[in-house]
Amino acid sequence: MGLTFLLIEDDEIERLKFTRVLQKNNYNHTLIEAENGEKALEVLENNKELPDLIFLDLNMPKMNGLEFLKILKSNHALRYTPVVILSTSSNHNDLKETYEVGIAGYIVKPLKYEDYAYKIKCLIEYWSVNELIKR
Amino acid sequence: MSNELEILQRALQREKAARKQAEQILEGKSKELYQITQELKDANAKLEDGLTEKTSELQGVFGNLVDAYVLMDISGNVIKMNHSAKELFGYDINQEKLNIVKLIYKEDYEYAMTSFQKLVAEGSFSNYQARVYTKHKGVRTVHINASLILNNKKQPIAAQGIVRDITEELEQKQIFEEQKKQLSAIVENSSLGIALTQFGKILQTNKAFQSLLGYSNDELLQKEVKNISLKDEYLESASKMQQMNDGEIDYFSVNKRYVKKDGSWFWAKTNVAAVRNEDGSIKYQVALIEDITEQLEFEKQRDKLVKNLEKSNKELNDYAHVVSHDLKSPLRSMNALLTWLQEDYAEVLDANAHNSLNMLLKKVDKMDHLISGILKYSSIDKVNHPKQNIALQDIVTDIIDVIHIPNHITIKIITELPVVIGDKFSLQQLFQNLLNNAVKYNDKEQGVITVSCEQKDEFWEFAITDNGAGISKKYHDKIFQIFQTLDDKNESTGVGLSIVKKIVDLYDGKIWLVSEEGIGTTFYFTLKNKI
Repeated sequence: MGLTFLLIEDDEIERLKFTRVLQKNNYNHTLIEAENGEKALEVLENNKELPDLIFLDLNMPKMNGLEFLKILKSNHALRYTPVVILSTSSNHNDLKETYEVGIAGYIVKPLKYEDYAYKIKCLIEYWSVNELIKR
Repeated sequence: MSNELEILQRALQREKAARKQAEQILEGKSKELYQITQELKDANAKLEDGLTEKTSELQGVFGNLVDAYVLMDISGNVIKMNHSAKELFGYDINQEKLNIVKLIYKEDYEYAMTSFQKLVAEGSFSNYQARVYTKHKGVRTVHINASLILNNKKQPIAAQGIVRDITEELEQKQIFEEQKKQLSAIVENSSLGIALTQFGKILQTNKAFQSLLGYSNDELLQKEVKNISLKDEYLESASKMQQMNDGEIDYFSVNKRYVKKDGSWFWAKTNVAAVRNEDGSIKYQVALIEDITEQLEFEKQRDKLVKNLEKSNKELNDYAHVVSHDLKSPLRSMNALLTWLQEDYAEVLDANAHNSLNMLLKKVDKMDHLISGILKYSSIDKVNHPKQNIALQDIVTDIIDVIHIPNHITIKIITELPVVIGDKFSLQQLFQNLLNNAVKYNDKEQGVITVSCEQKDEFWEFAITDNGAGISKKYHDKIFQIFQTLDDKNESTGVGLSIVKKIVDLYDGKIWLVSEEGIGTTFYFTLKNKI
């Protein structure tokens, strides 16, 4: 059963990394990409179906990850979609703030691609066996 | 004849009558005289009684007089002395003659003579004050009032004097004056403004008070405390003053402003103490004021500086955070792209290309380490974490378990490590960096690293000793500077020891090293016992 992911990430190569992990593992999940929070909100408004899971970068131009998260969590329709943070920051404040607003996970992007691929693989396999609210 | 007889008889008759009358008058007169004599006698007796009475009265006064009484003739020979006089001068005129001149203190002789002439000329003198010799007690200072005694021809026949010994009184007075002088010297030269007040009225001020306010003492004596205060602040101190008047407090301290003569004001710390009468009512208040305008200004500036510092510290931290984050992202991209090149073109690339890609990956790795180091360095901050009791024995044991130690190296804790007050993260970082270095740069077949601690007066002195390569003396200062590294190994970023130094500085400690090249190094550092 394929899942639909929304990846919100301004860096093109980061998006490529995520896509490559999906491809290399032959997952049949659907990936929607958005370059920043504003674009992501547009995607969410225009799509009839909501994504099953959102992967969110924190450091982005225009609307950053935290701002997007706050809007998402204050929206009655969207608040039930789990959000996993993908960030280079392991800063305590970032962790605390995002968990306070409400996230389902927090991944610190490792330097090495192999490590990254491994982490994303684990994530996807974990969420594949989860029960999610379908609408 | 008979006629003649008749005439004679009648004349005789008349004469008889006249005589009888005269006799009667005489008798009356003599009776009167007797009565007068009798009355005179009575009066005389009464007078005599009175005199005796007065004399004995006088005798009593004279005898009981606390002051010395001396009666002398006009040549200065003492005729009479009362008991006090005998006591004072030590002479008994019943046993030896005494002339007053003998008593006059040498240096006061002239003054005594002048006074005596005044006595003769004017009949008395008062408030004569001079020194006298006494038989036993040496020199005494006395106060004398004297007067002449005249006979009925208004000629002087004697002089009398009341003498009071004021030696002790004078001494007391001198001591008192001296103390008063000392006290006023203190008060006058005090840098604190001092004022004596009574129910808001200013009674006395010192120089400092006058110069603080810009008024003269006389001007201030016309003022009340409220005239030199700002209204609101006066009300506040007035309520304290009321409590003092009510006997609730004896002392209070306020910071208030005083208005100077030129209308400007200054802040002063004011301490007010009550001086009470025996019944507890307020006699007056003593106010000590100290100009704290500069001090307050200084505090204000300091607060501002601290705030600015906090702000720029936070900005710097945020900056380091953002910058390192922004730098890390491209490194991740580079790593991914290089990895993909290796994966996707594994067969196309020759060994040389693979080698270059690997070297690139290593540089990316080193760059990442550097950035992490900067982030760590900038996140070590005093205000970040609460202070707790930290058991260093546990901390260091944990580190030894966690860090990678090759089989040929051993780390031993050779003295029990203490519990110190601090935050866990920074103390852990401190030991971990030093131990990591000791492990990393050990070049011996059997590496031995020891951790020990010694208690000094006010601090703990720690030592981490290794038998590694040693560090040349010329680098001992340099190694604590950020980005300074002594080798070209990929992992060394030059941040580790600068973090160590920063942490030790935060704990007000010192760090130094003793090293011999080829033999090994000992890093010493101190942490305060009480923080």
